[in-house]
Amino acid sequence: MGRPSPLLLQALAVPAAVLAVAAIVAFLAGGAWGFGVLAIGWGGVLVHHVRHLDRLTAWSAASLDARVPEGTGVWRAAFSGLYQRVRTRRAHERDLAHTIERFQSAAEAIPDGMVVLDSQDRIMWVNLRAQLLLGLSADQDVGARLVNLVRAPAFVRYLEAGDYRDGIVIDSQRDAAITLAIQVVPFGVAEKLLIARDVTQMEAVARMRRDFIANVSHELKTPLTVISGFIETLQELDLDERQRARFLELMREQSASMQRLVEDLLTLSALESEQNPLAEESFPVGSLVEAVAADARGLSQGRHELHVDVADGALVQGSREELASAFGNLVSNAIRYTPAGGTITLGWRVDGDGSGVFSVTDTGIGINPEHIPRLTERFYRVDRSRSRATGGTGLGLAIVKHVLLRHGAELEITSEPGKGSVFAVRLPARRVRRIAAPPDPTPATPAAGAGTPAASRQAARSTP
Amino acid sequence: MPDHTHKQFDTEMEAIRSGVLTMGGLVETQLSRAIALLEGDESGSLAAQVSADEQVINQMQVDMDLACSQIIAKRQPTAIDLRMVLTVTKIVNDLERVGDETKKVAKKATQEAQNSRLAQVRCFDAARAAGRAKEMLQLALDGFARLDVNAAAEVIDMDDEIDAAFSAIMRQLISYMMEDPRTITPALEIVFMAKSIERIGDHAKNIAEAVVQVVKGIDVRHATAEQIRAEVAES
Repeated sequence: MGRPSPLLLQALAVPAAVLAVAAIVAFLAGGAWGFGVLAIGWGGVLVHHVRHLDRLTAWSAASLDARVPEGTGVWRAAFSGLYQRVRTRRAHERDLAHTIERFQSAAEAIPDGMVVLDSQDRIMWVNLRAQLLLGLSADQDVGARLVNLVRAPAFVRYLEAGDYRDGIVIDSQRDAAITLAIQVVPFGVAEKLLIARDVTQMEAVARMRRDFIANVSHELKTPLTVISGFIETLQELDLDERQRARFLELMREQSASMQRLVEDLLTLSALESEQNPLAEESFPVGSLVEAVAADARGLSQGRHELHVDVADGALVQGSREELASAFGNLVSNAIRYTPAGGTITLGWRVDGDGSGVFSVTDTGIGINPEHIPRLTERFYRVDRSRSRATGGTGLGLAIVKHVLLRHGAELEITSEPGKGSVFAVRLPARRVRRIAAPPDPTPATPAAGAGTPAASRQAARSTP
Repeated sequence: MPDHTHKQFDTEMEAIRSGVLTMGGLVETQLSRAIALLEGDESGSLAAQVSADEQVINQMQVDMDLACSQIIAKRQPTAIDLRMVLTVTKIVNDLERVGDETKKVAKKATQEAQNSRLAQVRCFDAARAAGRAKEMLQLALDGFARLDVNAAAEVIDMDDEIDAAFSAIMRQLISYMMEDPRTITPALEIVFMAKSIERIGDHAKNIAEAVVQVVKGIDVRHATAEQIRAEVAES
């Protein structure tokens, strides 16, 4: 042992001083008095030390963040040394906690669900997103086996098979509408990181593509079956001229419907194609509405009362051909779904904000509200048998949607079952330039279709 | 007792617990498939899958029962361990019954309903009740995985809802049957299906009660949700 520390010297100074005083007292007043002073003095020192020792013991037994006790004399130095250490340790802890917190908040911010698993597939850590997607709870489930809580058999097999090169796709057990892609990544010695991603949208797109192909094949097969059936009949049976003509007529109808379908498909694919830019031109909208109305009269063959109500003259910027096909589709739908004797009104107006609205108002069968958001889906039909009987391809509104998308326009559908529907195309203000109203070629009619109240509008906004 | 024996025993206990939950996962998936059928999903193999699931579930029940009796014979478990083994056999039985009922629901779901109003009842009301039953089953199994007694009271509350849905379906069907006797046969089929769904809810409730029994050691069968809440808070 080297030189005694100053603290030790300080600690010994008081008893030594007592001893010296006692010696002096013993010398002056006799041995008994000296002993008395020594006993009282040393007793006092002992009490002082024991009291401080007691505080130290109490502190060490107390909770970690208890205050370091204060002391006097030699204990002051000892306690202040302790206090320094505690403070330094706390600062370190704060730094560490801060770093961990930053990492955790980064992990929480990841939009995917993440779960850290130990070698026994027990949950070690789980972020907020994973709690939502997998129905876990960070408070309750740390330490639990993951397969006990995420019980989908496909997932259990995947986790237990141990081959994590590919992920798996499962329906969320919590919500059947959510599809999850799960990927496990091993790390460290035997730990695993599980990443769960919500792929509902992607799956929906994939499903739509599959459905589309199935639908097209089905739509083409139906008329083809009819045609080949008639061909067989014509080949094998000896028919009279009248029957023959009737069969050929039916075959012609079927092939025409196939042709319409193929044409619509080609139109759709042309509209979707990126290489096909919009043919911009400026044209007076009145003539377009008139042309559409003329086609409609041909289609209706006098079964419906047809009104045209062009309230404001305007020049429209866009592809006349595409808009004509979109407007034409809306009008032909109105004719097909309005019983004979009904009224169909074609309207055009320019609203206060400068946007132009082409509307088709009919007094037809109407559409139940639950169908409206899905109307522009390909091959979506409210009533299958009716649509096909009236010669629809199931693609008309899909074409309308694409044309409008290319023009930045919106389709607004309002309908009341049994009363009729309003299909309105709202062209953005930048595509519409107001000009003097043209002379109205038809007698003025009450503008039933033009005045759709804004509150009851249900916009089926086109989404790409 | 040497330490490794304890460890092995723990592993065996863990294995039967996980076994129940694996079986439960399969039953949940089977029920989801049946619900998809009810909602009119026509992707061909669903009905066949539900039947195949039922076969696997039956086999699992046999295996689990064997594992449980082996633990009892070899380890003579006591206290909470014994309760756990007994509860596992109980839950396994309930799960197997749910598998059966689900198969019945799926079978009825594939039958064509001639009447559109009846089809509406089937694909809307029955599917919704079945969805609730699935949630109950899920909650009960989660409760077992976490040994969480609070879930039990919640499950029992949900069972009341399913019972109410069942009587609503019944009322609706009875009014249709009175209007038009031709709907009696298909409506009866739907009644049986709704009854199966209601039974699934009951089995989920049994599972939840078994969880309370294993954790707290008290028998809460035939108790109301309120009584269970009180018991759980007390002990």
